[in-house]
Order: sequence, then C-alpha cells, then structure tokens
Amino acid sequence: MRLDVRGLTVRYGAVPALLDLTLAVPSGQRRAVIGPNGAGKTTLFNAITGDLRASAGSIALDGRDVSRLPPWRRARLGLGRSFQRSTLFPGLPVADNLALAIRLRDRRAWRFWPGGEQRLRSEVGERLAAAGLDCVSSRAAAGLSHGEQRALEIELVLATRPRLLLLDEPMAGLSGSERRAALEHLRSLPPDVTLVVVEHDLDAVFAIAEWISVLDHGVLLADGTPDAVRADRHVQEVYLGSRR
Amino acid sequence: MTRAATLVRGGLLGAALVLLASLTFWAPPFWVSIAVQALIFAVFAMSVDLLLGYAGLPSFGHAAFYGTGALLSARLALANPGLGLLPLAGVSVAGTALLAVPFGALSLRVRGVYFLMLTLAFGQLLWSLAFQAPAEWLGGSDGLIGVARPPLDLLERVDEQLWLVAGVAPPLPAVRHFYNLTLLAAVLTFAVLSVLVRSPYGRTLAGIRENEQRMRALGCPTFRYQLTAFVVAGALAGLAGSLLTLFNGFANSSSLYWTNSGLVLIAAIVGGAGTLAGPALGAFVVLIAQEALSSYSQRWPLLLGAVFVGFVLFLPNGLLSTGRALRALAPTRPGTGRR
Repeated sequence: MRLDVRGLTVRYGAVPALLDLTLAVPSGQRRAVIGPNGAGKTTLFNAITGDLRASAGSIALDGRDVSRLPPWRRARLGLGRSFQRSTLFPGLPVADNLALAIRLRDRRAWRFWPGGEQRLRSEVGERLAAAGLDCVSSRAAAGLSHGEQRALEIELVLATRPRLLLLDEPMAGLSGSERRAALEHLRSLPPDVTLVVVEHDLDAVFAIAEWISVLDHGVLLADGTPDAVRADRHVQEVYLGSRR
Repeated sequence: MTRAATLVRGGLLGAALVLLASLTFWAPPFWVSIAVQALIFAVFAMSVDLLLGYAGLPSFGHAAFYGTGALLSARLALANPGLGLLPLAGVSVAGTALLAVPFGALSLRVRGVYFLMLTLAFGQLLWSLAFQAPAEWLGGSDGLIGVARPPLDLLERVDEQLWLVAGVAPPLPAVRHFYNLTLLAAVLTFAVLSVLVRSPYGRTLAGIRENEQRMRALGCPTFRYQLTAFVVAGALAGLAGSLLTLFNGFANSSSLYWTNSGLVLIAAIVGGAGTLAGPALGAFVVLIAQEALSSYSQRWPLLLGAVFVGFVLFLPNGLLSTGRALRALAPTRPGTGRR
C-alpha cells in the first residue's frame, strides 16, 4: 500500500509538532523515520492512523484521501500499527488477544452466537508458534515479559494482514537475542507490505531500511537512501553527529 | 478454567436453581415475596453488569430504565385493563431499548468517571421529568396505583399439571405463579446474557473494555458495540421494571431515583462484576440485607454502605471470588506477619 502525506501540520496548542510535512512511501518499501526526541515521529504516526486530528494537510492510502476517516476505518483499509508502549488487552489470555484481531480482520466479530470458530483457533495456534508465544498462550497478556509483550503486539497487528505497517520503536527495551529475533521477523514480512519504522536503534534502521526520512522539529531534514542520509552533513550535525 | 472448577461451578449453579425452583414449597410466604423482589432485582443487576463488568462502562443512571419500564407497564395496564403479560412487558422492553439509544449515544462520548457522572445526570434528568409529569399522566407523587396483575394462564396450567403429576397439594397459590414468572424471567435473562457474552460480539466487547484504542487500531468500530450493550442492558432493566410494577400493583417515579442506580451497582460489585451469577447473588444479598437491617435501624443504608466498603477492601472481586481469595490467603507469606 502506498502512503502519501501532503502538507501535514499538527499543532499542540500554538506549538507545531509537524509543519507542512510532505512524504511519500511507495508500495512495498521498507522506510525508517529517524530523528531526535520531539522531532514529531510519533505525532506523524498518530496523524496517519487518525488517532490525532491534523491541523492542515492530507493523508492518502493508495491514492485515497483518508484524512477524515476515523482510525478503525483506516485500519480496515489495511493500515496496521504498533505503539511506542505495548498496547495489548492486558487482562485477557494471550490466545484471546490474537483471536480478537483475527475476528476483526475476517469481519466475524459482529455475531451474537458462540461457536463455529475452529478455523480461528487453529490460526491462533499457528500465530502463537510463529511469535514464539505458544508456551504462554493461556497467560494474561499483562503477565508477559516486556519482550514477549512486544512480540505479541507485532503479531496482533500482523494478524490483521496489514498492507501498510507502522511500527513505533519495535526494538525499544529488547535484549540482544530478542532484537535479532524481531529483526528477522521484520525481514521476513511479505514483500508487498509497506513498512514504516520509527526507531532509535540505528543498527536496526540500517539493517532494515531501503529509504530513510530524517525528522527534526517537525520538518523533514533529509530523505534518501541509507548511504545518502549517512553522508548528509545536516543529519550528521543534528543526529548522527553524536555517534562519530 | 480447569475442568474441576467448571464442575464445581456447574454444581453450585444447579443447586441454586433447584433451591429456587422449589422455594414456594418450603419457604414462608413473606420470604417468597422477598424472593420475588430479589429475582426482579437480579434481572436488573445482571443487566447493569453487562455494562459494568463486561463492557467496562460504569453506568450510574441505570435506574432510569428500571423506572421507565415500571411506569410504561403501569400506564399501559391502567389505560387498557385486561392486557396480557406479553404486551405489557414487551412495551416496557421496547420502550426502554428505544430510550437507551440517545441516552447511550450521548453518554458514550466520554469515558471512565465522566461516563459515570454523565449517566447519573441523564438518569436524574429523567427522574425529574417523571417526578414533575402531570398527575393525569403518571399520577403525581402517588404514582400509578391499582395495576392488576395480568393472568398467567400458560404458566398456571403447566404448574398445575406438575403438581398433579407430583400428587401433592400445591402451596401458596396467590404468589406462587408470579414467583415462577420472575424465576423464569431471571433464568432467561441469565441464559441470554450468557450466550451474548460468550459470542464473538461479547468477546469483542471485552476487548474494548481492556483496550479501546487497540481495538480501534485493529479496525473495530467500538461505538457500535458499546451502544448495543447499552441498549440490551436498558431493555433488560426495563423488563425488571415491568415485573416490579406487575408484582407491586403500582409504580411511581421514585424507582428512577439515583439511589436505585447505586443499589444495583452495589449488588453487582458485592456479588462479583464481570460474571452473571455474581450480580444475581448480589441482588439476593442486598435485598435480604436491606430487609434484615431495616428492621433494626432506620439508618440501614449506612450499614449497607459499610458492608459495601468492606467488600471493596477485602473481597474486591465479589462473593463469587471467595474461594480464590481464601486460597490466595492460605500460604504464609514470610516477613509480612500475615497469613
């Protein structure tokens, strides 16, 4: 799915978090959005999903303007997201967490009679195994470790079979081995899924991204291939400079 | 849930059902009439728990539907003497369901404690409308009196046949049939809600309770699910109100008053919100406590309040969680000085 952000401005009161931002992500691209804290990365995600109302500008998915659609309608068009802090169904068992996402994808949630969910249960089992969560399937999501919670959230979103996937710091707080597993998982996404990742872990960014957008103070500082961004002097000053 | 726990739960539920079904046989008439009121209150409590326990929506205005259901049945019965049970209850159910649409749609614009305050405000608004309505409509402060109980032909015939088969003289003819009716209504309410909360719809509703933002991000039109719960809960509270009128033979605006909304929440929480048997049990506890305490002191609401505070502190998941709470207490925790 192609994403077009045009002239996007989001203000918190008088302070602009994003100012006239224009960004295009072609279908199937692996894009990373980086920038220092407060650059507007999460705000950009919230505006794309509709969790936040933009002050100006438009968001289009596959050329269709979705700026006025509520978040659930955008999700049904194929937009999936993870949040910076794991956003799960804490009191429900891990397996039930996944079942909710699958029912919504199949439009089988609006039914008032129990039963007839054998296919659903087998898909839940497959996805639990894929996410490495099969041994904690009956535990409440709130009782999982941080790494397991991140894995469950990614699997929840993947269960809806998104065509545009927005991941907000998927590597944050993961251990070395969890990081490698998560990276592998992201690399194995179907090639037609468009991926936009906000991430502070630059090793992960350069490992995944085909294209990098650098945000600073709500404006696009640089936009290009990893090599071009690495070589950009402005980027080195405000962001990568600290790493040299 | 383990297999053993399911068996225990099923056994307890079956025992309760046997106890209730045979109640008119062994209980004195006074307690049968208390049981009728408790069963009506149980329908009311299960309905509010669909919102409180399953949808996570703490409605503090639910008495508006209870009272409106009561007044609708009374008004209709007085205007059309001889009308049967089904049309009377049906109008209460349909009327309160209809009322729940705007009531719910407006209240669902906010969440948490704001939802609680807004439902309280709407409930009190409806109470004040009913309270100030012209005497020709709702009977003023006296309310609508002299509502005749509709005949329960089918129920009576089945009941008489059963006694004939048993070969014993039936007890308490006057109140027995109405008791059986309320028991049937409570069992049906329990069954309908059990199916609903286990259906894909009910699971989705629980997901919205757990994390509404996540549900929206997964593509769920959450408002539609919540409003439906509000309408079902309102309609069942209307059914309870209708039964109340037909049992008492009168109805007045006081059943819409906010204290009823509070009392039904207490019943649901004391019994165990998020279950169906819990609120039904809580309704019995609250009504029996009310009966027992009010004979000792006029300040019984104070005592009931103290009991409620005790539950919130020591058994926050309600009476149904007693077993679990005792098991959690059993092992000695070193260093805390508690058992």
